[in-house]
Amino acid sequence: MYAIEADNLHRTYRTSSGWIRRTRRTITAVDGVSFQVPPGELFGLLGPNGAGKTTTIKILNTLLLPTGGTARIHGLDVTRHTAEVRRRIGYVFGGDRGLYDRLSALDNLRYFAELYEVDPRVQRRRIEELLELVGLTGRQKERVEGYSRGMKQRLHIARGLLHDPDVIFLDEPTLGVDPVAARDLRAMIAELVRSGRTVLLTTHYMFEAEELCDRIGVITSGRMRALGTPGELKRHAQDRVVVEAEVYGVDEEQLDALRAERGVRGVTVDQRGMLQVIVVQCDIDGDAEPERFRSFVRQSLAHLKLGRVEVREPTLEDAYVGIVTGQEAAAPETTAVLS
Amino acid sequence: MNGFASTARLVVVGGMTSYRALFNWTTPSMYIGTLFASPLFQLLFFVYVGRGLGVAGDEFLIVGNAVLSCSVAGIFGGTMAIANERRYGTLGTVLLSPRSRAAIFLGRGLPYVLNGALVSVTMLGAAALLLGWRTPVDRLPALVLTTLVGAIACTAFGLTLGSVGLRLRDIWLVTNITSALMLLLTGVIVPSGELPALLRGIGSVLPLTHSVAAARHITDGDGFGAAGPDLLIEVGIAVAYTLIAVVLLRVFETEARRRAVLDAM
Repeated sequence: MYAIEADNLHRTYRTSSGWIRRTRRTITAVDGVSFQVPPGELFGLLGPNGAGKTTTIKILNTLLLPTGGTARIHGLDVTRHTAEVRRRIGYVFGGDRGLYDRLSALDNLRYFAELYEVDPRVQRRRIEELLELVGLTGRQKERVEGYSRGMKQRLHIARGLLHDPDVIFLDEPTLGVDPVAARDLRAMIAELVRSGRTVLLTTHYMFEAEELCDRIGVITSGRMRALGTPGELKRHAQDRVVVEAEVYGVDEEQLDALRAERGVRGVTVDQRGMLQVIVVQCDIDGDAEPERFRSFVRQSLAHLKLGRVEVREPTLEDAYVGIVTGQEAAAPETTAVLS
Repeated sequence: MNGFASTARLVVVGGMTSYRALFNWTTPSMYIGTLFASPLFQLLFFVYVGRGLGVAGDEFLIVGNAVLSCSVAGIFGGTMAIANERRYGTLGTVLLSPRSRAAIFLGRGLPYVLNGALVSVTMLGAAALLLGWRTPVDRLPALVLTTLVGAIACTAFGLTLGSVGLRLRDIWLVTNITSALMLLLTGVIVPSGELPALLRGIGSVLPLTHSVAAARHITDGDGFGAAGPDLLIEVGIAVAYTLIAVVLLRVFETEARRRAVLDAM
C-alpha cells in the first residue's frame, strides 16, 4: 500500500468579477495529477509559482476537496476518511505564519498537542524531545514573535511532528531561511526519512531537491510533466549543453534573437544585481555543436558589455528549467493557473 | 484518557491557552483600560446624566450599565477567539486538527465568560464605592448569577460573530455596530417598553436584554422566582447563538474545502 496516492486529481475554481457585467471564469489549478509515494520515501514536488503544487498538497492534507479524481493516505480516502487522515499526517508550512506569536514555543506546542490529541501523559516528554530535535531547547519559553525565521521554521517542524504522523507534508520549509539554518533544516528532513516517515516536500531550490529527494515530480500548469529520480530527470537534458553568459543590459529583443536560433531550446535570465546571467539550453547533434553555440552566443551579445561565456554540462536545474519552459510554452492559453 | 476527559481537557486547557494567544487586550494597560476603565466611565457618565436630567434613578442606570459591561469581553473576545485565527494565519493549522470543532472553538469562550462576569461584578462594586449604591447582601448571589448568564449569552453571540468573521473580512465593523446597538436595544439605558415594537423585537433576541430585566427584578426585591423566566430566556438565547456558531463553523469549513473560499493558510 502506498503512503500517498494521487489518482487523476483535478481541482477547478470558479471566480467572478465585475458588478454590472459580471463575468465568470473557471480556473484549473490541478489538471489530472497522478503519482504514488511508497512508505519511507522522500518525494519532491517541484514547479514554478502557480503550478498547482500547493493546491495538490491542500487536497492531499484534506484542506481542499478535489473536483475530480481521488487521493489516499495509507489507503484512506482524504474526502471520506478526513479525521483518520488528519491523525496520520503532519503539515509543515513555510514562512512566518501559522504559529501564535504571542505564545512561547512551549505554549504553542502544548496547544497544538491538545488540538492533535496527544495523550497528556506523554505530552511533556514528547515536547521536550521535539524541542531537542529542532534545536530549540533553552529557548522554548520565549515568545515566538521574537524568533528568527529559521527558529520559526524549526518550531513549525516540531509542531508538525507532535502527534507522530506517518506522512509529513513540507511546503517550502527553507523559504527565506538563512543558509546555515537551511542546512540544519535539510539535515532534519533527512533524519525524518531515516526514522521511517514518508515526506512530500515542495521547494524551489534544485540543490535541495537533488540532495534530499528519492524521486521528484515536476508540475506545471496543473499537470505532472516529469516524474523520476533526480538522475532520471537529468536525462531530460542529456542531449543538451548549456551556454552560460554574463552580460550587462540585455533586452527582451536580444533574448528573442537567441531563442530563434536553430537548436536553442530555451533561454532564461538570472538577474544578479546589475549583472544578468543568461542560460541558453541547446540541443547538440555532434561534437562541434557546443563550440558553435558558444560562438553564436558570444557574437549575438558582442555589442554589449560581456563577461564570461562558458559551455557546461546540464544540471538538474537545467533539466527542470527545460521541462518547465518547454511545457509552459506548450500550455493552452485558456488555462489559467493558481497555486 | 477517555473521550470525555480528553474533550474536557481540550475545552479547558485549550480554551485558556487560546485566550492568551488570540485575545488582543492581554497587556495590563489594554486589559484594565478596555475592560474596566472604559465601562466604569460609561457607568459614571450615565448615572450623572440621569441625576442631572432627572430621567432615571441611580439603580436603574447602575444595574443596566454593570450588566452591559460584560459585553465587551464577551462579544469582542468571542469574536477574536475565532476571527483572529485568520489574522494570525493559524486557521489552516487549526482546521487540520481531527478534533471536534465545537470543543475547540466553544471552549475558547470560557475565559471570556469569566472575564465578563468579573467586569460586571467589579462595576457593581465600583458603583457601591463611588456612587453609594446599596443592595441587600442576600440579593448578591442571584445578581452575580444573572451577570454570569449575561456573560455566557454575550460570549455565545461573540462566537457567532467570530464564525461569520471566517468569511467576512470586516467583521469588526459588524461587532462595533452591534455593540453600540446593544446600548439602545437591550434596555440597559432606555427601558425596553419605551422602544418602538420593531426595535423592541430586535432587542428581545439580543443577549443581555433578559439578563438586565432579571437583574432589575432582583434588585427591586421581586425575588429570584420573578427573575427566573427572564434568566431562562437568556439561557435559551445563549444556547441558540452557540448552535448558530457551531452550524456556521461547520458550513464555512465545508464551503472552504469545497469552494476554496477561505484563505485558510
